Amino acid sequence: MVGVRSDSRSARIQLLVAEQAAQRGGRVGVVDVCTAAVAALPVGGAGLSAMSRTAGSHPLCSTDTVSEQLEELQLTLGEGPCVEAFTQGSAVLTPDLLFGQLQDRWSVFADAALEAGARAVFALPLQIGAISPGVLDLYANVPTVLGPEQLADALAFADLATLLLLDARIDETGPSDGGPSDGGPSGDGPSGDGPWPDRNLDDLGGYRAEIDQATGILTVQLGVGIDEAFVRLRAHAYMRGRRLADVAADVVAHRLRFSPEPEPTDENPQGCA
Amino acid sequence: MNQQLLAKTFVELADNLVTDFDLIDFLRLLTDRCVGLLDASAAGVLLADRDGALHVMAASDEQARLLELFQLQNDEGPCLECFHTGAPVLVPDLSAETLQWPRFAVAAQRSGFTAVQALPMRLRDEVVGALNLFHAEPGPIEPAGTLIAQALADVATISLLQQRSTRRSTVLNEQLQAALNSRVLIEQAKGKLAERQGIDMEQAFTALRGYARSHNLRLSDLARAFIDGSEPLPGLAA
Repeated sequence: MVGVRSDSRSARIQLLVAEQAAQRGGRVGVVDVCTAAVAALPVGGAGLSAMSRTAGSHPLCSTDTVSEQLEELQLTLGEGPCVEAFTQGSAVLTPDLLFGQLQDRWSVFADAALEAGARAVFALPLQIGAISPGVLDLYANVPTVLGPEQLADALAFADLATLLLLDARIDETGPSDGGPSDGGPSGDGPSGDGPWPDRNLDDLGGYRAEIDQATGILTVQLGVGIDEAFVRLRAHAYMRGRRLADVAADVVAHRLRFSPEPEPTDENPQGCA
Repeated sequence: MNQQLLAKTFVELADNLVTDFDLIDFLRLLTDRCVGLLDASAAGVLLADRDGALHVMAASDEQARLLELFQLQNDEGPCLECFHTGAPVLVPDLSAETLQWPRFAVAAQRSGFTAVQALPMRLRDEVVGALNLFHAEPGPIEPAGTLIAQALADVATISLLQQRSTRRSTVLNEQLQAALNSRVLIEQAKGKLAERQGIDMEQAFTALRGYARSHNLRLSDLARAFIDGSEPLPGLAA
């Protein structure tokens, strides 16, 4: 499987993040992505903000006071790499804030960020197509260029943060959200045991197209936004102990329909092996 | 080889590249032109992500996409070999390759393909993907055709870089990531439109592309607006 190669990095990143959660003594959350990223990359701090085009944006966590200030600054000013990464949907890498043209672009933010103690800022959008729940910001107090491997790791941290952020909504809304209400494979709801919820976090490999198409389909069947549709698709797969790709393929092939009511109907339960 | 069509194709591709084009739309155009120009029955573009895992970025039809996926899933086939070696792989007769690629050779023949060409998409020393042509007729693959196919693969590579260079980022990893994400975006929009209008994914793609062109929108901008429901899109989001 081609996914195996692809998964080696995300598996390693997941392990780093799980270690942080274990040290903290809690279940894995976005805060652990931030601390693991700081430990693994040549950066001084990391912060993560929930972003939205329609609702408000707010900081979720940060590893130190500089990161905290950077998140708050950008959301207050409405400018900076984080805001730009979100609106453009691509990473904004700023190796040196003193670089002339950057100060023109974010005149207020650049000065304030330098004042706060940041010199390099890397903003990585959390996104899966149109799903874009936030941005991961990394900063360094000296001019810093991320090498190709470091950038790939940073992007992998952002990908993991995306899934964790979306999964938090499964936990908030509970098992009735797209899955059967009487428990999943473990019978005790979606929480699972231990620090790492067993949700096949790297189950997004070669079969991507069906997963993305199914997400689009669910926005119509459920009458919800794209973020919510993806959360429900994953919740359903998780609750049934099925692979996300298999559930998605069933949705695309019209073998499985979701309805706004909690219980989706299997039109051909035998057919979805 | 139809010289006039060849000239027309390169003019058309170049025209696209100098404007604010959409990468997915462009790569689909490229695969369609490969089919028209090179007597191929189908064509597909594979792109590597930051970890070297390949993803289907564009295919001239659903069958080609499924074959590409099949190779990825089974980790065998000419496209993968081309990507790993960085050299073109020419397979004039798939029935002779059942030992080398037992599953792919059978699957391709079952889909009606008998010959395959895979051309690397190279950027300096790095292979970032592959362009694949599937033929329904067996027979020798013309050297001239291979040269043109490689030129088209090079154009595909350039389009990937061109797309991003206007947006500051010159880091390959990030460019690939953003390209893959725009593919995800289009698939999400296809799913939504297909479900809403009761059409299949290919029809949904054609409708989205047609709408984007007639309204002078980039395909991915349209896809995002359609998913967000942020703008009225008469005829599409009714």
